[in-house]
Amino acid sequence: MPSPDDKPVKTIEERIRPVSRRTFLKGSAASIVGMSGLVAALQPLLKLEKEDITLDQLLQRHYKEMTPAQLDKVMKRLQEKCEREYGVSASIQDLKPQDGVGFAYALNLTRCVGCRKCAHACLAENNQSREYDDDISMSYIRVLELQKGSINLETSNQYYDSESVPRKDKYYMPVQCHQCRESPCTKACPVNATWQEPDGVVTVDYDWCIGCRYCMAACPYDARRFNWENPKLEKRQINLDQGYLSNRLRPKGVVEKCTFCLHRTRAGKYPACMEVCPTGARVFGNILDPNSEINYILHNKRVYILKEEVGTNPRFYYFFDT
Amino acid sequence: MLLKPSLAPAFRVCFRSVPFLFLLGFLLALGGFLFARESKPEAANSAQLEEEPTIAGSGGIENHFQPYFGHDEDIHLDKTPPRLIMGLDLNRMGWTYNCMECHTHVEDIRYHREQKFEHENINLEHGNNRYCLNCHHPDNRNAFVDYDGSEIAEPNVTLLCAKCHGPKYRDWKAGVHGRKNGYWDLSQGIQYKLHCIQCHDPHSPAFKPMKPLPPPLYPSRAPAPKH
Ligand code: HEC
Ligand code: HEC
Ligand code: HEC
Ligand code: HEC
Repeated sequence: MPSPDDKPVKTIEERIRPVSRRTFLKGSAASIVGMSGLVAALQPLLKLEKEDITLDQLLQRHYKEMTPAQLDKVMKRLQEKCEREYGVSASIQDLKPQDGVGFAYALNLTRCVGCRKCAHACLAENNQSREYDDDISMSYIRVLELQKGSINLETSNQYYDSESVPRKDKYYMPVQCHQCRESPCTKACPVNATWQEPDGVVTVDYDWCIGCRYCMAACPYDARRFNWENPKLEKRQINLDQGYLSNRLRPKGVVEKCTFCLHRTRAGKYPACMEVCPTGARVFGNILDPNSEINYILHNKRVYILKEEVGTNPRFYYFFDT
Repeated sequence: MLLKPSLAPAFRVCFRSVPFLFLLGFLLALGGFLFARESKPEAANSAQLEEEPTIAGSGGIENHFQPYFGHDEDIHLDKTPPRLIMGLDLNRMGWTYNCMECHTHVEDIRYHREQKFEHENINLEHGNNRYCLNCHHPDNRNAFVDYDGSEIAEPNVTLLCAKCHGPKYRDWKAGVHGRKNGYWDLSQGIQYKLHCIQCHDPHSPAFKPMKPLPPPLYPSRAPAPKH
């Protein structure tokens, strides 16, 4: 039987919110309130950048999804920002991995004397935030002092400050990103903001990182650093030779890490930490080249892999020598 | 040893003035000799050295000189080698100090053990390598000596170390002992390699201890460190 009043059946939506003129007005008033609330809520975000976030910036895509033209635009914007904030004109580049090149690092534990020159050079190269000139808390390298006789990280000490090094009965182990082939950090990232490049280097898209720090928790080598605050840098401390995926200036709230100085190494140069090592304990090269120093070490020296049992299969080797 | 404090200065003055007079008297002859020396080194033992890098510009006017290394754009990185090369062609207190000014007059002491009259500053602590003439050429003090008594020219001093430290030299050649600077990719730029004596003092080769750069700040809320 048809119903007595032959009105069409209302949808569930209409039954709950039948739109009348009155409710429409109410609704738009509410949404105006809502909008202003949203704007208010966004205020801290806008302040954070000391400038209005441009639409471009909000819509910026993941590094891997950007077309070269888009990337150029982003790099230009970053350059302008650096100019505006620090008054220096940086050159930001995005060097691509080369075919037939896989980077690897080897460190001679018998040579290293623990002088920390590498940790400080890292700071000079990579534009990390710092409270004072020698503040290496954000450096990508930690130099551990260990007791001779075993490799026991539990009793290691990175704060040693003796008159001279090496100290008796101690040896030294600089630790930095191992650029693992099976990298736990990239697997932990919920938004794919960190990944491994074809030449083996694990990089971060600083504009994609949401700052959840899962990667830091996943890393067995304590190789990642977090920007709790807007990076503190002075004009004179800035290295102007910058790479998009490596040492360009970072925003607050993102994770950063050693990239084997991509902006140097992809241009054929040695990383900064190796350039300054007074003992020659550091060896860097192309593992895919059978005649490289790295392969000489893998074939002729006693090689040690830190935390091998974790299964990270790193591109960073320690070795012993006589 | 007993003679040292009182007699050493007198001897030194004597040795200095003899070559000086000699120099005045036979200026032409000496000039000719220096010229000859300058053009000679390559010829001495070029056969096995062809691919060896040499220490360019060795024997400058200044006592401490530094072969060029690194790149201008890297001024923010301190690449100074641990040791400055002295060279053999020295100036001391305003005088030339060419080895042969004296050593044409001084008798060689094959198993020389301690310096009484000259070179007192040199304290040889090179393990079992205890004799000066294991390294310095007896007849030409501006060069070093090889196994067979032939000369190793000063710029090739790395070959001197090689004659006794074969395995280390092999590693060094492979780029595994010592330091490289510049470009790993030789198609993109030049590579520099530190020489043995830029890290090791030949007379006291053990690597010298150094002061470490400042540590990271100890986190204020963490318990006190145990050392
Ligand atoms: C291991 C090889 C070796 C031995 C052994 C050695 N020398 Fe030398 N000597 C060198 C080398 C290499 C140089 C060049 C140093 C430089 O360029 O810094 C040198 C430089 C010198 C110089 C000039 C530079 C200076 O420091 O004044 C003198 C003088 C000298 N040696 C004297 C001696 C005497 C004396 C002995 C023995 C007590 C001795 N050497 C033993 C390798 C050796
Ligand atoms: C001022 C003169 C003088 C000059 C210049 C000089 N020497 Fe000597 N050298 C001596 C005397 C004197 C002795 C012997 C020292 C002794 O027995 O106490 C000596 C000894 C040596 C010895 C020890 C072996 C031996 O034959 O007695 C070596 C090696 C040596 N000199 C190397 C050099 C070298 C290398 C240079 C150039 C950098 C040099 N000398 C420049 C005066 C000089
Ligand atoms: C005539 C042979 C000979 C020559 C030439 C020679 N050495 Fe040595 N060297 C030795 C001996 C012997 C030892 C001691 C080895 C030991 O004690 O086990 C030694 C030890 C050393 C050590 C270790 C020192 C230590 O206390 O740990 C170094 C570093 C070294 N030499 C560097 C050099 C350099 C650099 C040169 C070139 C300027 C050189 N040697 C030339 C024979 C030589
Ligand atoms: C970048 C600096 C550097 C250069 C260049 C260098 N060495 Fe060394 N060498 C060291 C250090 C650091 C040690 C370890 C400290 C020590 O044992 O004194 C060492 C140790 C040694 C030792 C002693 C090894 C041992 O078991 O104790 C010998 C021998 C040696 N070097 C020879 C050479 C020779 C030969 C060359 C040149 C072909 C050379 N070195 C170039 C830094 C250097």
